[in-house]
Amino acid sequence: MAVINGILKTDLNGFILKNPVMTASGTFGYANEYNDFIDVENLGAIVTKAISLLPREGNKHIRIVETKAGMINSIGLENVGIEKFLSDKVPVLNANNIEFIVNIAGSTVEEYTNLAKICSSNNIKAIELNVSCPNVKTGCLEFGTDDKSLYELVSAVRNEYKGFLMVKLTPNVTSIESIGIAAEKAGADAVSAINTLKGTSIKLNIVNGKFYKTIVQGGYSGAGIKPVAINAVSRLSKVLNIPIVGIGGIEILEDILEFFAAGAEAVQIGTANFTHPDISQNLVFELEEYIVKNGFNDLTELKKELRA
Amino acid sequence: MIKEKSKKIHKAKVARIEKVSANSYLIEIEGEISQEIKAGQFISIYCENLTFRRPFSVFSHNSGKIGILFKERGKGTKYIKSLKKDDLIDITGVFGNGFNIENKKSLLIGAGIGAAPISFLKSKLNEKNIENLFIAGFLNKNEIPSCIKADIAYTDDGSYGRKGSVITDIENIIKDYKPEIIYVCGPEIVLKTLSRIGEKYNIETQIAVEKVMACSIGVCRGCVISVRKDGNIVNAAVCKDGPVFSGSEVVWQ
Repeated sequence: MAVINGILKTDLNGFILKNPVMTASGTFGYANEYNDFIDVENLGAIVTKAISLLPREGNKHIRIVETKAGMINSIGLENVGIEKFLSDKVPVLNANNIEFIVNIAGSTVEEYTNLAKICSSNNIKAIELNVSCPNVKTGCLEFGTDDKSLYELVSAVRNEYKGFLMVKLTPNVTSIESIGIAAEKAGADAVSAINTLKGTSIKLNIVNGKFYKTIVQGGYSGAGIKPVAINAVSRLSKVLNIPIVGIGGIEILEDILEFFAAGAEAVQIGTANFTHPDISQNLVFELEEYIVKNGFNDLTELKKELRA
Repeated sequence: MIKEKSKKIHKAKVARIEKVSANSYLIEIEGEISQEIKAGQFISIYCENLTFRRPFSVFSHNSGKIGILFKERGKGTKYIKSLKKDDLIDITGVFGNGFNIENKKSLLIGAGIGAAPISFLKSKLNEKNIENLFIAGFLNKNEIPSCIKADIAYTDDGSYGRKGSVITDIENIIKDYKPEIIYVCGPEIVLKTLSRIGEKYNIETQIAVEKVMACSIGVCRGCVISVRKDGNIVNAAVCKDGPVFSGSEVVWQ
């Protein structure tokens, strides 16, 4: 099926996508790793795995565990670093006509601003700030859990970066509204919500009366977090003027429609990419078919009806 | 626009499923995978209502049918066990590097369900007339899959073949047989032991590593291990850079 020109067009505050389906950071690699399954250029955009200034090894202990309706990951931001990303991955993305948003992560404001400067000077069109990293200056409190630190961070990045700036919000807060407002006031072009929930898995094994425990503490993602994500998007949509990109547990078309109904302008598919590597592309086609079949003119009209 | 490419996701049909020991099964699936499959490569099976596909190394590949030998261990294998002939399943693959066959006198070691890819490797070596000796080990007689034909069998309780595990008398076997290369699949303790013994006797080892995987293609970084590369210790994804590694490159935790 060919993508009908224009009906899925999505405008995120001036950042124009051919459709609203993106892939979430950490679930889709850096470039064309999924070309064995789909034509990645058919997606609205991919959000890259989080990139830091220097390459990161990530965590040593057990990194992933399956849960009911999802998984917990504790990868520890393993990544190739910005330099290698720019030299090895960006040319592949560009050669394959893949729209991309670079997810950046740091542990100080300076690290983020340096990354933003580098992205700016390399003509990177769009970045997503991963603010679920500990801020070393405030005793490891995450940037995204405190509205003042987040405002400071986003403002500093905004000063260095004129492209599309999206802030990925963590759900592990009391009031996601105040965090979203801080991002908007600091000049973010959009927010994406939600990042993973904090989760811990303890697997017990008893051998000769002694318990052996396998513990994985990290970010919980997958179908199980969808209600939390829908709640966050609904609450944000009441207080923000900038677009919201909904993330959390999307597996089928109805999930995307629910996010639109809650106020999202676009969505990201995460964990489901691991289970069904062709799912994001399938959802683009299904969304298009749904709009045509139900007699809507385009995505804008569908969203309007969903929110009526 | 969609371009034609060799897509690695397939709807496949169950051609046969059969119990081959007290707790293991052989499933044969027919799909569109026509490419040559190396021993040690794997496919990943979608299991209903589970987030992670389950990876299985290939046991056989004849006239378009891929055979997988699996032991019932949890929810995923319980689902696969429940499949019937002609059921459709969703598979991805073929993934991983597989064993790199060398024309050398070969010692093959498979412990437990790890005997599956080693048995496949043996059939490849036999086709190429490469001299080999296949040692397999199981907990007891009832757990030995009827489709595994080892040259030397061990059981932990001595109910079949020699008593003990594949590593019990391995140094004597190596001294007698004098292999030039050793291929191994099994639990970590077996891989680790054979890697060390390989270094001790200066014999190349190729070991197939098993890890829980989410994506099977090196993207999620969930299944990484530490390996030595150009003097540095780096991460390697078992799914993409492996699952077969040189025993001497793996850094054991």
